[in-house]
Amino acid sequence: MGSAVFSLKRLKFKNPKNKVLFIIMISIVLVMSIAMPSKFLSGINIQSMASQFPEFGFLALAMMLAMITGGIDLSVVSIANLTGVIAAMILSGSLDNGMPDGTAIFLAIVVIIAISTLCGLMNGALIAFIGVPPILATLGTQGLFMGIAIVLTKGHSISGFPEQFMVIGNNNFLGIPISFILFIFAAFLVSTLLTRTKQGFSMFMVGSSPVVSRFSGVNNTKVLIITYMTTAILAGLASVIMISRVNSMRPGYGTVYLLQAILVVVLGGVDPDGGFGNVPGLIMGIFILQLTQSGLNILAFSPFFKKFMWGFALLLVMVLNHLLQKRNDKKKILQKKNNIVVTE
Amino acid sequence: MKIKQLFSHNETYLMMIVIVFSLVLTIINPVFFTLENMFDLLRSSSGTAILAVGVFLVLLSGGIDVSCTTIAIAGQYISVNVLIASGIDSIGLAFLISILIGVSLGAVNAYLISTFNLPTLITTLGTSSLFHGLLLEFVGTKAVNVGDLPESIKAFAKVQILNINRPDGTSYGLSIFFVILVAIVLVTWIILKYTMIGRGIYAIGGNREAAKRTGYNVKKIQFFVYCYAGLIAGVMGVLHLSLIRYSNPTYLVGKELNIIAAVVLGGTKISGGSGTLTGTLIGVALITILEKNLILIGLSSYWQKFFIGLIIVLGVTITYAQNKISTRRNLAMRGA
Repeated sequence: MGSAVFSLKRLKFKNPKNKVLFIIMISIVLVMSIAMPSKFLSGINIQSMASQFPEFGFLALAMMLAMITGGIDLSVVSIANLTGVIAAMILSGSLDNGMPDGTAIFLAIVVIIAISTLCGLMNGALIAFIGVPPILATLGTQGLFMGIAIVLTKGHSISGFPEQFMVIGNNNFLGIPISFILFIFAAFLVSTLLTRTKQGFSMFMVGSSPVVSRFSGVNNTKVLIITYMTTAILAGLASVIMISRVNSMRPGYGTVYLLQAILVVVLGGVDPDGGFGNVPGLIMGIFILQLTQSGLNILAFSPFFKKFMWGFALLLVMVLNHLLQKRNDKKKILQKKNNIVVTE
Repeated sequence: MKIKQLFSHNETYLMMIVIVFSLVLTIINPVFFTLENMFDLLRSSSGTAILAVGVFLVLLSGGIDVSCTTIAIAGQYISVNVLIASGIDSIGLAFLISILIGVSLGAVNAYLISTFNLPTLITTLGTSSLFHGLLLEFVGTKAVNVGDLPESIKAFAKVQILNINRPDGTSYGLSIFFVILVAIVLVTWIILKYTMIGRGIYAIGGNREAAKRTGYNVKKIQFFVYCYAGLIAGVMGVLHLSLIRYSNPTYLVGKELNIIAAVVLGGTKISGGSGTLTGTLIGVALITILEKNLILIGLSSYWQKFFIGLIIVLGVTITYAQNKISTRRNLAMRGA
């Protein structure tokens, strides 16, 4: 992206929305760097920004997959809580005290993946087999999964994990937070899934029009079930970073992430009605959120003001998208009219 | 109504579940089925039921409103603060302010949704975050304790329309909250059944495009729905305050999904156009009994979320499985 230095016009984006996002992102960075260079551009700030968002980035990736197929997954945070609680029980030795640390960590990660897959299978089955609207199915499982997490812990928090496990959420590799590396790796995998595989292509088809995709020979049921399983696994992996970062797990942790995940997914150019979305756009959306948040933190704004800002940003983006869409549609209609005149 | 006809309604099954559930509760703990507990349940669940009526109307119109609890708490917190600051001790003024705030915040939802044609879930998620952020940032975060609460609000909770004396001389009764609930349900029922706008709500929920071409003003109807839901939330805000005699601006928020769940359990389609008030009230009854009475059968309160989730999952599974089967049967019949 070195060409950005010379001219924005030379930058080629497949998606026009991504260009807008890129310009917004760069402007925020510029404004903040000029306004408070010593604080914003410090290595510590950049490092802490990079370590703050991955746990939430995983949830956003998860939400994006569901939204591309025209659905939504309200249960992502609950899945992360459930897997987090169970992993925390294994890691803290409250299930089996005699387990060596290495085994416990390995077991915890395997269990996280297994349980999140099951959760996703349940969502997928409700949505694809029974035909429950995604919002309702995941509304129910949201309560159910969180309920299981609460029952398992009786509402208390679990803490005290092995040292090696904490490395994931707190240490750096060559100065880069490990959680950030994990997130980029996951984003790369998700991007590959969406752009290079049959499943990815089918997801866009189902999201655009389930009827058309079905008549084109796509197995909608299978596509949706795999989608919600992948979504759930990503949510489960978010819990690995969550619990290793704060060294404890309490059911109910991270419930604010649900709104934020929906916010960045929509900000990142994913259509809530399905059929459109890409990983680079989402990543820029996440960066914009994180940059703004850090900026507001440095300026000592209250968390309430941030809450207001998020809501405002979400609405603004949707209204802008709507107006952009309307303008494009008008242009197309005008073009078509002109073409007709020419051919006549 | 004929018995056969009765069994073709979803509400009948739901009511049976509520009755069976109540019987089980009564057998385990006889305290459940006493007039006193019933009155208490009615009083404490009136707020939820009122809010559910608003959410029901929104769902009926094909939308979804997750900002209702935020609007309720905004109405409550601002009105109680105005009352304290101005020194005017009047429940009427509290209702007036709360309702005004409810309607204006509802109008914001309505404007965004009807003008820009935005997805309702995400819009109301956004506005609820916006409203709550504004409330906490600019109005305050300090809870109002019972000591600072205006007398009229405390007194309002004690108003009873029916009084029954216990043998020991103390008494219990049916709260005025119930009257407000009945009034709201009645007004909503009349709107839905006898006014053009009410029929329009069903119409735009069932098929927006068709409703538009029939001549319904979709924007106007949507505006009405969200403002009415805001009004109802405003009323609920004051009732909630009066009930718990404490105002914390972070309360209620987060309960909206429970209320939507109750409405959906009551048989209202999330895609709009179909649903009844009776079903909604039964749905609320089911959720309330679950929420408030697990403790009566010896289960700790941390089971609450689990059971509510389970009930929603089971409820929607049964409804949509039924739909799927009947659609298939219809198709098969047409094929033959």
